[in-house]
Amino acid sequence: MSGIAYYVVVMLVYLGTDLLAAWGLNLEFGVAGVANFAYIVLVAAGAYFYAVLTLGSPAAQGGYQHYIIGLRLPAAAAIVVAALICGVLGCLIGVTGLKRLRADYQAVVMLVISILATTVVGADTGLFNGDDGLSAIPNPLAAVNPASRGWYYVAVVAAVCLLGYLALRRFTAGPLGRALRAVREDEEAAIAVGKDVVRLRLAVQAVGGVYAGLSGALLAGFIGGWSPSSWQYVETLALLTAIIVGGLGNDAGVLLGTAVVPVLILQGVQFLPQFNSAPELMADLGWIILGLLTIAFVFARPQGLIPERRPRYAARPGAGGPSRRPRRGGRAAAPGPAAAGPAAAVRDASARPGAAVATPPGPDAGRLPAPGGAGGRMPAGAGEPILVISGLTRRYGGVRAVDGAGFTVRSGAITGLIGPNGAGKSTALGLISGFLRPDAGRVIFAGRDVTRLPAHERARLGIVRTFQLPREFRALTAVENLLVAAPRQRGESAGGVAVGRPLWRRQEAQLVERATALLELFGMADKRDERAGTLSGGQKRMLEVLRALMAEPRLLLLDEPMAGLAPVLAERLEAACRELAAGGMAILLVEHELRAVERLCERVVVMAQGKVISEGRMAELRGRKEVQDAYVVG
Amino acid sequence: MRVLIEAVGFGIASGAVISLGAVGFTVQFGISNVLNITYGSLMTLAAYLGYLLLQAGLDVWLALALVAAAIGLASVAFNRALLAPLTRRGTGFVGVVIVTVAAAIVLQYCIVAVAGPDTVSYGQQAGSTVRGGDLVFTTSQLIIIGLALALMLALHLLLTRTQLGRAMRATAANRTVARGCGIRTERIIDVTWLISGTLCGAAGVALAISTVSFDFTLGPTFLIYMIAAAVLGGIGQPYGAMIGGLLVGVVSQVAAAYTSPAYQDAWAFLILIVMLLVRPRGLLAAGTASARRLAG
Repeated sequence: MSGIAYYVVVMLVYLGTDLLAAWGLNLEFGVAGVANFAYIVLVAAGAYFYAVLTLGSPAAQGGYQHYIIGLRLPAAAAIVVAALICGVLGCLIGVTGLKRLRADYQAVVMLVISILATTVVGADTGLFNGDDGLSAIPNPLAAVNPASRGWYYVAVVAAVCLLGYLALRRFTAGPLGRALRAVREDEEAAIAVGKDVVRLRLAVQAVGGVYAGLSGALLAGFIGGWSPSSWQYVETLALLTAIIVGGLGNDAGVLLGTAVVPVLILQGVQFLPQFNSAPELMADLGWIILGLLTIAFVFARPQGLIPERRPRYAARPGAGGPSRRPRRGGRAAAPGPAAAGPAAAVRDASARPGAAVATPPGPDAGRLPAPGGAGGRMPAGAGEPILVISGLTRRYGGVRAVDGAGFTVRSGAITGLIGPNGAGKSTALGLISGFLRPDAGRVIFAGRDVTRLPAHERARLGIVRTFQLPREFRALTAVENLLVAAPRQRGESAGGVAVGRPLWRRQEAQLVERATALLELFGMADKRDERAGTLSGGQKRMLEVLRALMAEPRLLLLDEPMAGLAPVLAERLEAACRELAAGGMAILLVEHELRAVERLCERVVVMAQGKVISEGRMAELRGRKEVQDAYVVG
Repeated sequence: MRVLIEAVGFGIASGAVISLGAVGFTVQFGISNVLNITYGSLMTLAAYLGYLLLQAGLDVWLALALVAAAIGLASVAFNRALLAPLTRRGTGFVGVVIVTVAAAIVLQYCIVAVAGPDTVSYGQQAGSTVRGGDLVFTTSQLIIIGLALALMLALHLLLTRTQLGRAMRATAANRTVARGCGIRTERIIDVTWLISGTLCGAAGVALAISTVSFDFTLGPTFLIYMIAAAVLGGIGQPYGAMIGGLLVGVVSQVAAAYTSPAYQDAWAFLILIVMLLVRPRGLLAAGTASARRLAG
C-alpha cells in the first residue's frame, strides 16, 4: 500500500486505540474524579497479556524471548481475557485509593506505581522479556484476512470503538453517571445520601481497566511488538492532556482531544516528511508542546474545548401525554403552573398516567415526603423513640469532644440540640450519622444497633444529615442535586447498566417530577437547571435540605440550617419542619438561633464540653443555672 | 558483613545527596502546600548546567555553588510565574499536580532537545580514597557529606535563631495570620523558594558528581528517592527529611546489595508507596500539622 495510505491507516488505528484508552481514563477521572496516573500500566497489561496468550510457549518460539504463561488462544478470546485481567488489575490499583489520601498524594502514589512497574518489568527478563519487550506478537486478524494490517484493521478498531462508546454511555449517562459525578464533586455529601462510594470507585476502575486492556491488546496486535519504552509514565499524561483539552467528562470532547493530542501532536509530528531527518527532535518537540498545552488549559480552560454538558429535564409532563423522559440538550420546557400547595400537587399527580404504578406512589410528588418515603418502610409511630444514643464518647488526642453523651430522639417531633461553641454538637451529629466512629457508646436506630454501620448504609436506613457548611454538588444542576439523593434508583444498579434506559426511564420521570415540585415549593424553580455552584449561599443551604428530603429520611439531622438564611426562607424552612414532623418524621435540629429552637422544638437537649448537661422544654432550660453557666463559660 | 558495611557506606554517601534534595523539597511543600514534581527536572537542569560549566573549565565545587544559586532563582521564578497564580485561582490539588508534572515534562524534553539523549559524565571527580575500617569513601563523597551537613546546620540555625527563620516558619504555618502580624509574606515566600531551590541545585550537581554518568532521566528517578525521604520524615519537616534521606539511602543500598542492583530504584519506590499508604504522616512526624495537610 502506498506511503500516504499507510500513514493514514496507522494514524487511524492509533486514534481508535487511544480513544478507547482515553474514554476509560475519562470515566475514571473526568466523570468519577479518580486521578489514575498509573493508567498506562493497565494499557500495557492489556498488550502484554494479549501477547503471552497468543504467542505460544517461549520454547516453541525459539526460546529467544522469555515470558510468563505462553498460550496459543484464538485472538478474540485472548483479547477478551486480557481485557478482563486488566479490569481486575484496575480494581487492585483502585484499592490504593481507599486510603482517602489527599488528591495530590494519591496522584503521586499512582505515578510511583507506574514508574515502579516499568522498572520491575524492564529489569525482570522472565516476566515479559524485560527491556527488550515482546516481538512477533500475532496479528489478531491474520487468520481472517491476509491484508490485515490495513483498512480491515481500521474497520475492526472502529467497530470496537463504536461498541465501546455505546457501552460507555451506560456508565456516563443516566443515573449512574450522575451518581459518579456526585462522588467526584463531594464524596462525603454523596455518602450522606447513601452512595456506596467504595463500590462505585472500584467499579469505575474495573471498567476503566477493561477499556485500557482492549486498547493495549489492539495496539500490540497491530504493531506486533511491545516494550517498556511504549508505556513510560508520561504516556498517562498524554491521555490526561487529551481529556483535559477535549473536554473533561464529555465523551465527544474526549474524541476531539484524542484526535488533537496523542495523534496529531505526538504521532503525527513524527511523520512530517520534511522533518524526517530529526525524528527524535520532533518527538521531544511533541512532548514539549503537550506539556505547554496541558498547563495552558488547566490555567485558562480547565473544562476543555467541549465541556461537560448540563442535562436538561422536561418539566412535569402535560396531562394525558406519556411520561416524558429526561432529555439532554433540549430547551427546558417552561415550568407548569406552580403548585398552589400540596393539595393541588396531589390533584395534578393523580391525573398523570402511570400514577397508579406502585413505586413510588404519585401522591408524594409535589408535597413533602412522608418519613421513610415510598419505600414501604413503616415509620415508627409518632412519639416513639427512633434514635437512642448512650454513653457516646469520641476523643481527639487528649480532648473528649463527646463525653458519654446520651439522649433520645422521637419520631413525629423536632428535638433541639443546643450548646455553646465546642460543645460537641457537630461531633455528635457525625457520630449519629456514621461519619465518625465512636470510641465508646452505642447508637440504636429504630431498634437496631447501628454503631458499627458505615455512613452510607445508615443513610439508606433513613438517617440523613445536612452539613454545617453547605456541600452542594457544584457541577450538577439544582435538580440533579436532588435526583442523585433519591434512594434505590434502578439506573444506578448493575441491571440499569445492562438493560439501559428502558429499565429506569419511568422511575426517573417520577423522580424528576418530585424534585421539581420540591424546588417549586421553596421558590427555587427558576434555578432548577442551573449548576448548584452558581446559587447564592442561602439557596445552597436550602438545596442541601431539599436534597436530604429527597433521600427519604426517617431521621433528619439538620446542622445549623438557619445560618445565613434570609428571613423569608427561614420561615419557609420552619414551616416545612413542622409539617414534616407532623407527618411522622423525626428531626434533630442543631441550632444557635435559640428563638427558632424555642418555636420549633418540644424538647431540647443541651450539651457543653462534650456532655449532655440538661434536657427539657426551652422555657425551663432558660432558667436552669447549669445551662446559663455553660453559655457564659463555654 | 563486609558487603553490609560497604553498602552502608554507599548508603551514607547517597543519603547525603538525598537529604539535600529532600530538605529542599520538604521546605517547598511547607511553604506552598504543593507536591512540586517539577523539582526533579530542576535537579536534572542543575546537573546539566554543572556539566556546561565544567566544560568551560570551572572547578567543580565553584560550579556547584553557581548552579545552586541559578536554580534558586529559577525556583523563585517558577513559583511566581506558575504555582502562585494557580493556587490563587483555587485550582484543586490534582490540577496543581498535573501542572507540575506537565512542567517537569516540558523542562525535561527541553533538556533532551538541547543536550541529546545520550549519557553525560562529569569525568573523574572522585579524588583519592579514604578508609575508616571497612568503610571506604572518596574525597568528593566526603566533601558532599560535609556540604550536606553544613547546609543543614545553616538551615537549622536560620530557622531557629534568626528573625527571617521565624518569619519563614510562621508563614509556612499560617500565611494569613503571618501577614496580619506584619510579616512581608510575599518576600518571605520568595526567600523560601530561593533557599529550597538552592538546595535543589546543589543536590543536582552533587548527584552528578557522585554518579559515573547520567542522562535526562536523572530527575524523575531521584525525585522519588527524595519524596520518599521527605514523607518518611514527615512532610514539611526539614529535620525529618534529613534523617529520612539517610534512611532511604542506606536501606536502598543495603537492599540492593543483598538482592540485585537493578532493583535499587525499586526499593525506594516501594518505600514511598508503603509509607503513603500505611503511614503518610511519616515515622518521625512531629504533630498534627502534617496529618492535617494530608487530609486536604
